[in-house]
Amino acid sequence: MKPELNIRTEEIEKGSSLGRDAWLRLKKNSLAMVSLWFFIAVTLICYLGPLLPGVPDPNVTHPDLQSMAPFSEGTSMEGQEVYYLLGSDHLGRDIFSRILYGGRVSLAVGFLATAVSLTIGVIYGAVAGFLGGRTDSFMMRIVDILYALPFMIVVIILTTYFGNNLWLLFVCIGAVEWLTMARIVRGQVNSLKNQEFVEAARSLGLSNWRIISRHLIPNTIGPVIVYTTLTVPAVMRLEAILSFLGLGVQPPDASWGSLIKEGADRMASDPGLLIYPAIVFGLTLFSLNFLGDGLRDALDPKSSKD
Amino acid sequence: MLPLPRHQTQQGYLTHLTLLGVAVVTLLLSSGCKRESKVDIATREKILLLGNGAEPKALDPHLVSSTGDSNILRAMFEGLVTNHPSDDTIHEPGVAERWESNEDFSEWRFFLRKNAKWSNGDPVTAHDFVYSYNRILHPEMAGPYSSMLYFLKNGEKFNQGKIKDFAEVGVKAVNDFELLCTLESPTPFFPDVVKHTTWLPVHQPTIEKYGGMTDTFTDWQKPGNSVSNGPFELTDWRINAYVKVRRNPHYWDAENVKPNGINFYPIDNAFTEEKAFRNGLLHASYILPANLIPLYREREDPALRMEPYNGVYFYRCNTNQPPTDNADFRRALAYAINRETIVNFITKGNQQPAFGFTPPTKGGYVPPEVVSYDPEKARAFLKKAGYESGADVPEFTVIFNTSDDHKSIAVSIQDMWKKTLGIENVKIENQEWKVYMATVDEMRYDVSRLAWIGDYVDPTTFLGMWRTGDSNNRTGWGNSDFDRLYKESFFISEPKERYATLQEAESILLEELPILPVYWYTRVYLLHPDVENWNPLLLDNHPYKHIDLKAKAGGDGK
Repeated sequence: MKPELNIRTEEIEKGSSLGRDAWLRLKKNSLAMVSLWFFIAVTLICYLGPLLPGVPDPNVTHPDLQSMAPFSEGTSMEGQEVYYLLGSDHLGRDIFSRILYGGRVSLAVGFLATAVSLTIGVIYGAVAGFLGGRTDSFMMRIVDILYALPFMIVVIILTTYFGNNLWLLFVCIGAVEWLTMARIVRGQVNSLKNQEFVEAARSLGLSNWRIISRHLIPNTIGPVIVYTTLTVPAVMRLEAILSFLGLGVQPPDASWGSLIKEGADRMASDPGLLIYPAIVFGLTLFSLNFLGDGLRDALDPKSSKD
Repeated sequence: MLPLPRHQTQQGYLTHLTLLGVAVVTLLLSSGCKRESKVDIATREKILLLGNGAEPKALDPHLVSSTGDSNILRAMFEGLVTNHPSDDTIHEPGVAERWESNEDFSEWRFFLRKNAKWSNGDPVTAHDFVYSYNRILHPEMAGPYSSMLYFLKNGEKFNQGKIKDFAEVGVKAVNDFELLCTLESPTPFFPDVVKHTTWLPVHQPTIEKYGGMTDTFTDWQKPGNSVSNGPFELTDWRINAYVKVRRNPHYWDAENVKPNGINFYPIDNAFTEEKAFRNGLLHASYILPANLIPLYREREDPALRMEPYNGVYFYRCNTNQPPTDNADFRRALAYAINRETIVNFITKGNQQPAFGFTPPTKGGYVPPEVVSYDPEKARAFLKKAGYESGADVPEFTVIFNTSDDHKSIAVSIQDMWKKTLGIENVKIENQEWKVYMATVDEMRYDVSRLAWIGDYVDPTTFLGMWRTGDSNNRTGWGNSDFDRLYKESFFISEPKERYATLQEAESILLEELPILPVYWYTRVYLLHPDVENWNPLLLDNHPYKHIDLKAKAGGDGK
């Protein structure tokens, strides 16, 4: 009897961190795991793929080799041998390499804009939630007002005002996307701030900022991570919409959104231009959404069904 | 529970699914329904259905400047001289029965027909024309295209407020049916000029019933109020839906007007318009997107029309700032553009690579052959401009108004500069039309795209804008020799000699290259086989009264 009990105690004492628990639960969710690996693979291919020799420059045109079929090769009028893995577009550019380079832009927009919205949203929400009272009401009314503004129009005004600069576009999207994040964090902080560990921290004489940054924000990390995985696809979709309207990346550079836009115009004559980028973009969005769902279940076991 | 933002998680699938559903339904619908289409009914009723680009800004000849708007106005109004159905150089008598000029073409007399009537029955007199020219030139009117009337003596000065009295402007009603135009300088092609929309007459009592002479956008142009003197009168106008004109019973030549009416549809998306045509909603489309041309060509569709058009597509350079202030650099850019490639693989509509600026006319003016694709020459000019290699060229931007075709051309030209000259730092930027116009007006650009469609068949409509300080110049370029030769040409009455002088002027323009010509236009559009007597015209100003509609046996237009 005794030795057995000892082993158990050790295991219990060792405990398990929130992260480890979540990871174990996530691993059981096969859809989320497939999505995770798929997303990692897409990211790696987009960022590292173009470094490989043989991937052509996405902006080199060969107008005489336009609308080529997948797996075809040709010699351009300059005498250059070209091989098209997924065919070529209306200017003879390589679709495969344009998808890779477009993915860099789309993913970068996704991550950067999410980082911007994360930073603003978490800090704003935490401060509002922690200070409470009038400050809280005031800060959250600002969020309500911003929410009421038609969100596409705000982004369009910002981009026309600052010009069509890609980095500004990231910041603009991020600056518009933080509102929900702020609300989530505020709610979390509101329920956490009366708990014992905050009182303990207060009784130690810690400053407000230190309590927020060291005690409250780390405790909201679960919902924040979940919401982040859902913001990334939302932002990528927004970038696609803006590119679709001609406000996103400037030609000849591409993002998945602008590739889909160009493809949609040529759907009748050249369906590949639409289909390939749309498949990649669609699958990436799906994988991020599934991953987000999986993470929610993993990080918040109370709400999961099993 | 976490407050999941539902609209951001689920909308994704839903929109995709909905789109898929819509696509499937459209496919099902578009295949195989064969009923009498709108076009068939319209052909029977002799109503012409035309796609007409954007919603008209106004139906007032003194306020419009786009080709679509002037199409409607040419149906409603008739000027002194009108267009011939098949030849741009023939002058058809309009309100003027005949006309004559003095020796040196600086004074023109128009003799008006006595039976010309407004759509309310009033006679059209020479005073109506004087009133109209006073109205468009009036400084308070601020007509966007009033410069077309600068041909009249003192017209420019009156328009700019330097002369207050309209009596000093060179237009006079000798009597009710004789109009005398005194011109600023000899103009042998003056009958061509007065065919333009800006020279159409307006009905004074109608305009003054709804406001003052110079009041714009008043109710006079609305259906029911509008009074016009052309083959058709306005009967219905719904914003963003249609403009309908029907037979004017008081028109002097009413028995020879073939169609009973015309419906103009403002469809500004070329892809939508093409679908409308295919589904039997239009007799003729306004344009056709370049990437659909090969499809129509492949199946040898009889509806596809590609006709020479009096226009040029070009890039202009800001000559006030580096790097485009350097003529050698501009030459390098011009010689590095492979126009054949653009015409054959991108625009695909039988356009002609431009070797000069003014489009050549058969048996008429031909511009000097200067510009070509010559990589060696281009590289030599780049060296001469002081750049060892293209990598040393400072960054500059090409701007264009939002359009897929302009984008394709800009991207390929950017790549040509990169390939032949090694210029890495060219950026491309698209701007909405109004933003683009403002940018260009304020000269905040390096290189910008433009197209120029001639207002009449004569090189002066193309070369005039490059005079120093012309309101359409906007490159900062000016050359006193060019200005002098251009002016001189107006005093030469012998056409050959006149063309030679203009060629000399144009060769100066092409030597200095403040502009990079790309191609000469063709009109690419779709025309239903039921439409008769619709002939290729350089100016594309089809006189609608001659156009007939006859259903072709067994043909549903496909």
